[in-house]
Amino acid sequence: MGVSSHNIFNHMIISKKVEFSASHICRSPQLSDEENLRVYGLAANPNSHGHNYIVEVAIEGDPDPITGMILDLKHLKDILEDRILKVYDHRLLNVEVDSFADKVPTVENMAIDMWNRIEAHIDATGRARLFSVRVHETNELFVEYRGKA
Amino acid sequence: MTVHLSRRYVFFAAHRLHAPTLSDAENQALYGKCNNPNGHGHNYEVEVTVGGQVNPVTGRAVDLHLLDELCERQILAPFRYRNLNTEVEEFRHGNPTTENLATVVDVRLRSVWLNWFPAGGPKLEKIRIWETDRNICEVCP
Repeated sequence: MGVSSHNIFNHMIISKKVEFSASHICRSPQLSDEENLRVYGLAANPNSHGHNYIVEVAIEGDPDPITGMILDLKHLKDILEDRILKVYDHRLLNVEVDSFADKVPTVENMAIDMWNRIEAHIDATGRARLFSVRVHETNELFVEYRGKA
Repeated sequence: MTVHLSRRYVFFAAHRLHAPTLSDAENQALYGKCNNPNGHGHNYEVEVTVGGQVNPVTGRAVDLHLLDELCERQILAPFRYRNLNTEVEEFRHGNPTTENLATVVDVRLRSVWLNWFPAGGPKLEKIRIWETDRNICEVCP
C-alpha cells in the first residue's frame, strides 16, 4: 500500500538544502585535448578549478498523522552530512570521490551520484521517498535528477 | 559631489590553504579541510568600488566598459577556471587565503589604475571578495 498511498491525501514534498565547496576537472580521457577544450571550454583545465555547490534534496510523502512530519529531519540532515558532505566537501572530485574514477564530475553526474548515495537510506518505513536531487554549480546553472525514469 | 559605484564580477577557481613556512602538521591544524593537498574550489565574487564625480553629460562616475576591460585583463582572465596556487604568479610561493586574494586583486588594479583612467578621474576605493556567502574580505587602503 505504501506506493499507491503516495498519490492521495496530503501528498507533499519537503526539501532540504546543504552547501559545500569542491574542485573538479571537466575532461574526458576518451576525448582528445582539442575535443575536451571544445566540449568543456576553460573548465577542461587539467590543474582544476572549483565551485561553491548548493544541493537541494526533495523528499515526497504524506505527513505522519501523529508527528505531522513526512520524515525525521534530523535523520535527513545526518544522511546528507554522512553521505554527501563528508564525501564531497573540500575535495578534488576527480581524485577523491570514487564514483568519478571513470566518469567526468560534471554537475549532471554529480546529481546522479548523490541520488545513488542517499536514495536507499531516506526512510526505512517507506512513508517518505526521494523525489529529486538538485545541484547548483553556479547562480546560473543547476541540474535536477529524479531517478531512473 | 562624489558618488561611490560598485560593480561585481564572478570567477570560478581552485585553491589550497597552506602556509609555506609552517609544518604540515601546523598547516593541518590551522586550515583543517582547506589544507587538503588536492585543493578545493569556490565561486568567487569580486566587488570593485569606485569613487568619482558624476559627469554632467553622461551622468556616469566611471566608464563601465573601461572598468570591465581592466578587471577582465587584470583579474578575471588570469584567475578564471584556474588553480590559484599553481597558475597565479603571486601564489606560486604564497597562500591564497581570501585576505591575500583581496590584496592581490587590489594591487593588480591599483598598479595600472592611473594608466587606465585619466588624472582627476574615478578613484579605486574598495575591493570586496566573497569566497562563500559567509566568508567575505574587504580591502580599503
